[in-house]
Amino acid sequence: MENSRELKFESPGFFKRLKGMLGVDFYRLFHTPLLYIFLIIAALIPALVSMGATGGEEQTTQLFTNAWQIIAANKPLYVISDIGEYANMNMVFIFGGIMISIFIGHDYKSGYVKQLFTTHAKKQDYMMSKTLLGAFSMACMCVTYFIGGTLAGAFTGLPFEINAGSLICAILGKMIMSLGWASLYTFINVIFRSKFGISIALCFILGTGIPVIGAAAVTGNTPALNVFLYGSSVYACLSSNALTLLVCLMNSVVWAIVYNVLGSLILSKRDVY
Amino acid sequence: MNAIEIRNLSKSFRGMYAVDNLNMTVPAGAIYGFIGENGSGKSTTEKLICGHLVPDGGEIKLFGKDYSDAGVRVRVGALIESAGCFPNSSVWANLMMQALNLGLPNREEEINRVLKIVRMEDNARIKFKSCSLGMKQRIGIAMALLGDPALLILDEPINGLDTDGMRIMREILVDITKNYGCTVLISSHILGELEKIATHYGIIRQGKMICEISAEEMDARSRTFISLKTNDMSGAKGVLRDMFYTVKEEDGYLKIYNTDDTETIVGLMLKNGYAVSEIKSNKIGLEEYYIELMSKKEEA
Repeated sequence: MENSRELKFESPGFFKRLKGMLGVDFYRLFHTPLLYIFLIIAALIPALVSMGATGGEEQTTQLFTNAWQIIAANKPLYVISDIGEYANMNMVFIFGGIMISIFIGHDYKSGYVKQLFTTHAKKQDYMMSKTLLGAFSMACMCVTYFIGGTLAGAFTGLPFEINAGSLICAILGKMIMSLGWASLYTFINVIFRSKFGISIALCFILGTGIPVIGAAAVTGNTPALNVFLYGSSVYACLSSNALTLLVCLMNSVVWAIVYNVLGSLILSKRDVY
Repeated sequence: MNAIEIRNLSKSFRGMYAVDNLNMTVPAGAIYGFIGENGSGKSTTEKLICGHLVPDGGEIKLFGKDYSDAGVRVRVGALIESAGCFPNSSVWANLMMQALNLGLPNREEEINRVLKIVRMEDNARIKFKSCSLGMKQRIGIAMALLGDPALLILDEPINGLDTDGMRIMREILVDITKNYGCTVLISSHILGELEKIATHYGIIRQGKMICEISAEEMDARSRTFISLKTNDMSGAKGVLRDMFYTVKEEDGYLKIYNTDDTETIVGLMLKNGYAVSEIKSNKIGLEEYYIELMSKKEEA
């Protein structure tokens, strides 16, 4: 054809492709209200939990003898006997699940996913980008939760008594677990795509740790449950140390790899829409 | 070099073949008009080329490379069914996201360039959901044009547009192929519009390619005819047949094939005492060719 031109096709490397996909996701994350709403929710929830959710100051002080218990439990508790024991930074993983479901659901609902998959032949780009975005968002929520929790603790007059190293390890452990959780939620969402109502429900169930709590009801309070994402998230408690961080890191990375491989496989074997 | 080369491509949905052993060749630099009835497999083929659907079998090559090659796919722009934009984001934000997705270095400059091509410079800040259908289609083209695409795949880009919108879209398509030299695969039901821009045609039916033809070949095959109205149609028909013309009476007109010499026909009519109330020279175009081809297939 007379108007054809000499064409050169340079294959972009993995990091260039990922950079492109991350660029879109983070641009959207910072230019839409979704993340900011969840950051506010993550900051407000500990305040609500500590101040009123359990029905008054007297009851609150019974549940929390230390302000840092708003962030994490004193020791790993897989079997929950009281809902108040659950009300700590682990809730970020529920908010994260809902946020990721809305985020990915809109990719599919708006049809923008067509643009992404037209130009990105490698489907793992999508999985990895969304996982990193989700992990980043949940890590940010951990920060706002910490701020909200600290302020709430100060407001309710609870004592701040803890080994600072353990507290840092607990918070870092939960932030590290964000990666594993984000990969799980991304995996769920590439299955249910635009039907993000189902994804939200599933993420909620998994984020609350119901399956692990159910297993714990049978097995008892055993560290074997640390193999699960929820187990490791619970393990990052106020008695954490460097080993806790290592367990969280290994667990989070392994699950992230597993879910990314499975998600990429699903994306490459199934029609995009 | 061929921009698209498809061999024995198949795709089924619940046992029904939407694309059935399809073969297709789109030369580089062509504007390839992809024609077919609703449900003939046009959109499915386009989605397969873009990697949106997973084929059951067959081979797709883009510029001589497998269609899953990351280097080729990053040079494909597509507008399939809808623009694929976030409704609550502005036109500019949607384009920025696509520019980031493609890893373009000079993003703002590139966005301004494509906005100018699709004549949307003044509407860049409005939300995508506030745009009219014509504007949305143009934004879809702008998205596809970002990053110097080598291949543009446009699925019904002129559907639902008014006359003015169609004209603008036609001008844009001609402009981008002339000035940017990319190959365009365009499907449309509006054959009259397609005829004005396409250099090649592919006609698909029930998932199979039934004909691939260049615009030049189509032109050579096209027949001319004169449509005529007189005060005595059957008498005039007899006179024309006596003069060895191929004549057919259709839709209240006499259609005299393989001639465009209206002067001779008028002279012949007057000489035989028939009053001519209407006469027009016509050419069998893409639409007539398509209908003829389809009816032949139907009969077969």
